[in-house]
Amino acid sequence: MKERIALGVAGVLLLYVLGMIALVPLGPGLIALEPVSGSVSPLRYEVVGLGTHFAGQTHQARVFAGRPGEVWEWRVIEARNDARLVVEAVWPEKLKTKSLDLFVYHPTDGTLLLENALHVGHVPIDDAAAYPPLASPVPAGDNLGFHFPFQPQIFESIRNLMLHVPMWFAMFFLSGLGFFASVRQLGSARLLPADGEAHSASSVALFFGILGLLTGSIWARFTWGTWWVDDPQLNGALVTVLVYGGYHVLRASLDEPMLRARLSSVYNLFAFVILIVLLLILPRFSESLHPGKGGNPGFNTYDLDSALRWVFYPAVVGWSLLGWLLYRIHFRYHRLRQRLEMSESHPSTALNPPTGTPWR
Amino acid sequence: MTLSRAQAVKALLSHTLRTEFRKAHGWIGLALFSLASAYAAYRAVGAHPEAATWNALIWVVLMFSAFNALARPLADDVAAVRRYHMHLIDPRDYFLARMLYHGVLLSALSLIIQLAFSLFLGTEHLEGMRSAWMALGMQTTAWAMAGTITLLGALGARAGAGFGLTAVLGLPLIIPILLLSARLGDAIMSGLGAAEKAESLLFLGTFGGGAAAMGYILFPYLWRE
Repeated sequence: MKERIALGVAGVLLLYVLGMIALVPLGPGLIALEPVSGSVSPLRYEVVGLGTHFAGQTHQARVFAGRPGEVWEWRVIEARNDARLVVEAVWPEKLKTKSLDLFVYHPTDGTLLLENALHVGHVPIDDAAAYPPLASPVPAGDNLGFHFPFQPQIFESIRNLMLHVPMWFAMFFLSGLGFFASVRQLGSARLLPADGEAHSASSVALFFGILGLLTGSIWARFTWGTWWVDDPQLNGALVTVLVYGGYHVLRASLDEPMLRARLSSVYNLFAFVILIVLLLILPRFSESLHPGKGGNPGFNTYDLDSALRWVFYPAVVGWSLLGWLLYRIHFRYHRLRQRLEMSESHPSTALNPPTGTPWR
Repeated sequence: MTLSRAQAVKALLSHTLRTEFRKAHGWIGLALFSLASAYAAYRAVGAHPEAATWNALIWVVLMFSAFNALARPLADDVAAVRRYHMHLIDPRDYFLARMLYHGVLLSALSLIIQLAFSLFLGTEHLEGMRSAWMALGMQTTAWAMAGTITLLGALGARAGAGFGLTAVLGLPLIIPILLLSARLGDAIMSGLGAAEKAESLLFLGTFGGGAAAMGYILFPYLWRE
């Protein structure tokens, strides 16, 4: 019964998640600021966007340069198309920094930011520089539908967030189940069903760990340009998967059920604690490319109000429930198979198992 | 007569040291393995390799030597001796003694390896205090490895599966230690400040200490029949 409910809930959640991954559009963003060739003074630039709507309502678009909180306005000339906006640079007499961000306001897209859009060499630097005031305040908000946030480098691959990260959540959930099952087995001198539960939970945890590595590797290829990087978080993930692989080697090398239960429980407890240390503790103290670690912000930092949460949390619950379901199926399959093997070798005990054998 | 924990551990350690050193082929084999690995590294890269090569090789050689040492069952890892011990000794005392023995063994091996590397591959990357830092790093690594692998070695011995199984179980756990050590070696050779080196040492100590604490808690369960 519990399995049926889990199947229903996981099915609904994952259908929703996969549907959202496939259908929700990516929000607009800025990619580059390119000088228009031939223009000298005043210098003209082309703002290159992705998913932007520059061609409509161009007269309401506004462009600013500066740093967040201290900007002055540039002039919008024309929109070549939805993704290219021609603007004219305006320079104050002095600048506070040489490196400037670019902000584009458009009634449909809202305010977009291109960090470190240009480096200015010809204007003197002065900490007390004052910028020309804005003619009118910049309206807030946009007219976009439900969309995923635009992130530099990540672009459309942000959808992988609903696949890659929940794999690790599901893995933690299942290895936690395995941990508690192993604790129960170790607390008893008899062979308990908990041993089979620990085995099944660790098998499914390993499966999700491998999926997590694969989805992560694909993501790394798109965003970092390589399938694998030398990084504390990635090393920890690989080691974790290897440790759980070791658990299965250990089980396979032992034939006597009671000894197998005890030794693999000891190893499983050891493995789980190591997993916590390697995946949750050590990477926080090291520099890492991976979001959420060592000064590199997680998604929360810049997407507090974003649409991602509407899909991400259901994805975590859905994938974890699916993992739980796989674990139950795996456990029951092995219990049945053992029972079948028993009934073949000892027909009389099949229907009335003695205590201390691995079934309930 | 009941012994205090310190007395029991001391007696067990000296017993383990004596039984192991009586089997001369065991420790001479380990020392020769370390020397031969260092010499093979020297023949492969020549007398004056780059700092990065020197650093990578010494940790890899230490790793293989440590595996050779830790994955080998002790003379006492026989079912009859274990049963005899089980009636007389607190398993946690036995675990501590076993870990200390592995620590002493690896500490000696890492000293041999560092001397061999200094002799064959040169010391131009480790002048003055850097050599002492390197020795400190190797010793910390040796003890962290001992703390991590002792439980797994006992587990492998208990499973009766020998060297291969312990290697499979232990290798994933050695990787993070090796990464930390390589970072430490890098920091030493590139002359980074004491804070960076101390941080790596602290991580190594924490990792080894945590694994050893887990082993101390879990080892008694390996000893039940």
